[in-house]
Amino acid sequence: MVMKGAKNTHYLQIDNNIEKICQPKGVEILPAEMAWQKYDWTRKYFLTKPKKGYFIWAKEQTKNPLLSCVSISSPKIKQQMQNLLVVENNLKVDIQGTCNSSKKNLNGLHQATGKILIKQGAKVNYQHIHSWGEKDAVEVSYQFLLEKDSQLNYNYRVITPPKELKTNNRLVLLENASANLEMSASCAETKFDIKESLILKGKNASGMLKLRLAAGKNSRISADSQIKAEAEAKGHLDCQGLLTDEKAVVSMVPALVCSHPKAQITHEASIGRVSEEQLNYLMMRGLTEKQALDLIINGFLDYE
Amino acid sequence: MFFTVKNLKVSSKGKEILKGVDLEMKKGELQTILGPNGSGKSVLVQTIMGNPKYQIESGKILLKNKDITKLSSFSRAKLGIALSWQNPPAIKGVKLSQLLEKIAKSKTSKIKITGLLNREVNLNYSGGEKKLSELRQILSLKPKLVILDEIDAGLDLKKTEEVAKIIKEELVAKNITVLLITHSGEILKFLQPEIVNVMVKGRIICRHKGYKKVLKTIKDYGYERCKKHALFTD
Repeated sequence: MVMKGAKNTHYLQIDNNIEKICQPKGVEILPAEMAWQKYDWTRKYFLTKPKKGYFIWAKEQTKNPLLSCVSISSPKIKQQMQNLLVVENNLKVDIQGTCNSSKKNLNGLHQATGKILIKQGAKVNYQHIHSWGEKDAVEVSYQFLLEKDSQLNYNYRVITPPKELKTNNRLVLLENASANLEMSASCAETKFDIKESLILKGKNASGMLKLRLAAGKNSRISADSQIKAEAEAKGHLDCQGLLTDEKAVVSMVPALVCSHPKAQITHEASIGRVSEEQLNYLMMRGLTEKQALDLIINGFLDYE
Repeated sequence: MFFTVKNLKVSSKGKEILKGVDLEMKKGELQTILGPNGSGKSVLVQTIMGNPKYQIESGKILLKNKDITKLSSFSRAKLGIALSWQNPPAIKGVKLSQLLEKIAKSKTSKIKITGLLNREVNLNYSGGEKKLSELRQILSLKPKLVILDEIDAGLDLKKTEEVAKIIKEELVAKNITVLLITHSGEILKFLQPEIVNVMVKGRIICRHKGYKKVLKTIKDYGYERCKKHALFTD
């Protein structure tokens, strides 16, 4: 089982094999190394010649969401991907990306670096789902460039956590661009090291960075998030942590860096424990302790 | 007896709160507990429901002669006991409709709370909204014993009557046993309980069949004097 609806995916990679590429009208999808050969202009984004990964180029308006799935299904696989996504001017594109492991104990490594270029006036709605086995390690590092008047909604959810997760994402917003980045994860027996930064470079750029992190048994979460305003722009950083076990630790470091006198950037941050009162209330409604806890965590993570 | 509390002594953080409470209820009976703030009414109902915050020092709680004193609140709920909280906690991010989906045995309800279903549970609800939400949840559980903790608190007379009507039609008329906790007593004239218990300082000081007489005594002389007017006291 790779993912539900895998047969509809446009890019399907299992372990290190590209199983399927399907090109919807107006979109070109290639293995990253082939894009490097075919289009010289991609080299300034890839920086080094990629060995694995995907290249998705939305050139014309497409009706349906673009679906990608990268899966680990064999033991001790190392995925090292370099990805590039380019969305041309004024297009509206929905993307659903799934990265997962088909079993709990495959001991895999998933490394993905990449660039996401959203050109002038384009609007991208990106749902990124991660679902891993308990022995996997995951490292994700993306750079987003939002050109003038573009918009990005990026929703990154870790449904089942790996043993270790490192993220390092950086968003740069040019004039009048807006971004809403939400990251949510619930973990147990896990170490998370999260770095997110949003750079407001252009006038009237606006960005929201929202983190919801729930730490369960023996988990360590460290989240450094930053909004940097270099122009007359607006940004808000919203970090919340929830401890669901006595042996969990959450460290959150929200930072605001402002170098323009008319910029408005704000932040809010909190870390709390699950309330006994809430648990009792729900158990008195006939939920088991686990069901009650799951409901509280899902509410905290904004899951429906 | 359908529901019995026997000589219940309860403490919290080392302080004794209930000092030997006895209560007996027949199937389908509507009883009320009146008492001033801080008399231990909410502690009693939370203990009946199994809140681990309160330690039972001695005594027993029986439902249909089954000893439930040591059961978890989850198990008590499964046996058909449902408590409407006086101050229910907000659960951020969880819509009332989602909660009902998880807990409801009965999907239909006559309680009109359409405007609340898409709101987060108890978050920024008015007093009246909280009571209607509690009733909606409780009724969805198809309970056998319903405990309503200060269901009339903070409601104006019109809302109190509305809530009383729901209790009458959806619980009393359906032969569901109801224990109503109140300190104002306003709601009693709409519900006419069969027995009024008066609780003061962690003890039930009287059980009386005439709620009007008890309310008058409280109004004229205070709660403590109820003991003298009791038909049967403990």
